[in-house]
Amino acid sequence: MLEVTTSTILAAPTDRVWEVLRDFNGHDRWHPIVAESRIERGEPADRVGCVRRFVLQDGSELREQLLALSDLEQSFTYCLLDTPVPLFNYVATVRLLPVTDGDLTFALWRARFTTRPGEEGAMRRLVAEEVQKAGFEAVRSLVERAGEG
Amino acid sequence: MARVYVSSVIPAPVGRVWARIRDFNGLPSWHPAIAESRIENGEPSDRVGCVRDFRLRNGERIRERLLGLSDYEYFCTYSILESPMPLSDYVATLRLTPVTDGDRTFAEWSAEFTCDPAREAELVTMIGRTVFQAGFDALKRQLGS
Repeated sequence: MLEVTTSTILAAPTDRVWEVLRDFNGHDRWHPIVAESRIERGEPADRVGCVRRFVLQDGSELREQLLALSDLEQSFTYCLLDTPVPLFNYVATVRLLPVTDGDLTFALWRARFTTRPGEEGAMRRLVAEEVQKAGFEAVRSLVERAGEG
Repeated sequence: MARVYVSSVIPAPVGRVWARIRDFNGLPSWHPAIAESRIENGEPSDRVGCVRDFRLRNGERIRERLLGLSDYEYFCTYSILESPMPLSDYVATLRLTPVTDGDRTFAEWSAEFTCDPAREAELVTMIGRTVFQAGFDALKRQLGS
């Protein structure tokens, strides 16, 4: 099992960051690799168990299922159901925590998965750079810019 | 149950911050409120279950027991056995998490305890400021580049 974790400090309160991240169907509005997304069967995006089907900028299609969502802990967990890349048993959690002495947010994105032998390095890079880091940078530009008034 | 939660960002890698915090007998070396400390019965300070007996700069004495210590998850949990504060069932956790972009550390210090409801707000503020935030401020000064 491989584990990839990215964490950062965002210059906005957790409630503002959570507004963006809580919507399981909203990643096509902020994540640079996601072109469009929809929730299957017309279910609400905060219904635990719902499935998002989305298309990346390169045209590949993925399905992910929401496994857990907590407004109290400001966290959500999801797994990959279908993907064209060799990411297996993929489960990821995004969690926000307040930095109380600065009104900032500590954001953490952790993924666990397996892959084919020989592809570990490439899959680690893909998850760390293109999914997690690019995702946090996009959220940063959204919430930090909005906070400047 | 009263709850205190304080968190901060320390401008140093988690290994350096943990090196300070890990020593359950090391408070006088980094926390400005603590004058001296010893571990009872000559036990090692990383033996879970050991008791530290320490004195604040204002002369007050506190005894605390180490309940959990993790070099893997970077946390330390302890309870108060004796203190001049009007509270009971006090359990606190100090936890570090690496910030992967920038070699910084996210530090959280939290506690839960029972007390007279009329004293709760005062105790929460006092512990949050003079113990937790004062400790983090000192670590930021000591470990900042």
